[in-house]
Amino acid sequence: MNTVLLARTWEAQRAKLLAVALALGGWGFLMPVIYASYGAQFRSLMESGVIPRQLAEFGGGDIFSLPGAVSLGFIHPIAVALNCVFAIGFSTGSVAGERQRGTLEVLLARPISRRSLALTLYAAIVLFVAITTAAFLVGVFVASALWGVSAELGLSRLPLLWLNGVLLFAAFGAIGLAASVSFDRMTPVLAIALGFTIVSYFVDVLGSLWPDAKGLQPLSLFDYLKPSDVLSGTATPVDFAVLAGVAAAGVAFALVRFPARDLAAPS
Amino acid sequence: MSVIVTDGLTKRYGRSVLALDGLSVEVREGEIFGFLGPNGAGKSTTIRLLLGLLHPTMGRAEILGLDSERQSVAIRGRVGYLPGGIALYDSMSGEALLDYLVDLYRRPPVRRAELLERLELSAVDLRRPVRDYSRGMRQKVGIIQALQHDPDVAILDEPTEGLDPLMQRAFYDVLDDLRSNGRTIFFSSHVLSEVERVCDRVAIIRAGRLVALEDVGALLARRHRHVEIRVRGEAPRLDGVAGVSKLVTRDGLLTCELEGDVGPFLAAVQRSDVADLTIEPAHLEEAFLEFYQDDRPAGIVGTDVGAVRAG
Repeated sequence: MNTVLLARTWEAQRAKLLAVALALGGWGFLMPVIYASYGAQFRSLMESGVIPRQLAEFGGGDIFSLPGAVSLGFIHPIAVALNCVFAIGFSTGSVAGERQRGTLEVLLARPISRRSLALTLYAAIVLFVAITTAAFLVGVFVASALWGVSAELGLSRLPLLWLNGVLLFAAFGAIGLAASVSFDRMTPVLAIALGFTIVSYFVDVLGSLWPDAKGLQPLSLFDYLKPSDVLSGTATPVDFAVLAGVAAAGVAFALVRFPARDLAAPS
Repeated sequence: MSVIVTDGLTKRYGRSVLALDGLSVEVREGEIFGFLGPNGAGKSTTIRLLLGLLHPTMGRAEILGLDSERQSVAIRGRVGYLPGGIALYDSMSGEALLDYLVDLYRRPPVRRAELLERLELSAVDLRRPVRDYSRGMRQKVGIIQALQHDPDVAILDEPTEGLDPLMQRAFYDVLDDLRSNGRTIFFSSHVLSEVERVCDRVAIIRAGRLVALEDVGALLARRHRHVEIRVRGEAPRLDGVAGVSKLVTRDGLLTCELEGDVGPFLAAVQRSDVADLTIEPAHLEEAFLEFYQDDRPAGIVGTDVGAVRAG
């Protein structure tokens, strides 16, 4: 790993990182607030039968509890999109973007191996998603304390929830990096990484809402994000292991593929 | 001692594109080596193979005794590289960019101050973001990033692109200094006059094959010079004089082409009453254009052919 490159990457991304972290922190803050303010009304609305019961199970748990509300916020498209700024946006551009702009040539004229470059960029991806995921949970923690509902949350399980989230977005980041080292242009890289993420999310949502599609859910990486199970203490190590395995496979592919490639002159 | 060695270096893309075909050259320590060829001849491919950015299909390359394929990181630690049409990080200031790029070498920028002064880049210029730089300023920053850490070998691809004539001259002086300090420079260019000005030897490649490798002086000496002589009285007898060709005499004006040693020619004309004599200096351009011609048979010419093998 190259510390000079890591420091430069941090410097280049810190403003964006701050904006995303603040947005996710704010989003996390809203979850306990909404639960404390409107949870009872939502429960009576759902129990009236006006809204299908499956919607209440989206996210894998009881959305009328605080852990359920936090779980829903964690996998809500807004939270996913914000985390994907780095998991997909940064990872896909990390090599292919530099290649497309022509700056990769300047970087690789220095004594940095391609493996070291890829590992450093992946370390940056993990660092960024670790911070953004933590920002969401900090927002949850602060609002729970302010609204006096933190006793319902099980604060000791938040670090495990953080790890579950980091592993999910680190897995997407690894897929983005693997695609990024494989192409000279951003278009196919974005198509692969973004397509995979969107399809994965769609499959998970479909399985949540339509019982016949439940069997497809294990094909989605989002199926292994189990905020509700983590917060209720029923999560299994398998979910964490699957996400870690996908991340490791993506990084391993990048470490093999990138050094083997020919980097012809930019056209 | 040879600093850069390629031996049968070949690069093929797929089955149909042969970008480089058995290139074998040696670049000596402390020389400025010109590397010439038309667009698509294989110059950038060669440079990229030397730096380990491409993997050779056959053959091998070495810089400073290090293998380009297996030890490319060590090579890049001792080489300064200016890519053709360099792209820079536009959001950074010139100073931050140079600091970042030299930090990646983990070596101090011992030549930066001197290069900034000679290429007339001020501290104020360096504080501006690179996106605001003119093409010439970008090229200056490109040159400085390649040379600021005082590398043993510099690989420069079209280094004077975008520089004005004054800056080109300043850059040639920088190259002269590097050479006198024993640094080796591999210099790719399309500007033939600058190759003539700065290079000790030149290699010319065409369609991926080496077609010539010579001392610049020897190449110049072999060139045809255009000669005009105005004589009073009888014209000198130049038929059969070594190196003289295309002889035309009309109304006391004699024109011819002269190649190689001028001694026999001067000996032949000194017996005549010469009113005026013009010998146009030989330029490399004609020589290069000859080598660039597509219908020229493949093969290697030059005074250094002993150091070269055909691919």
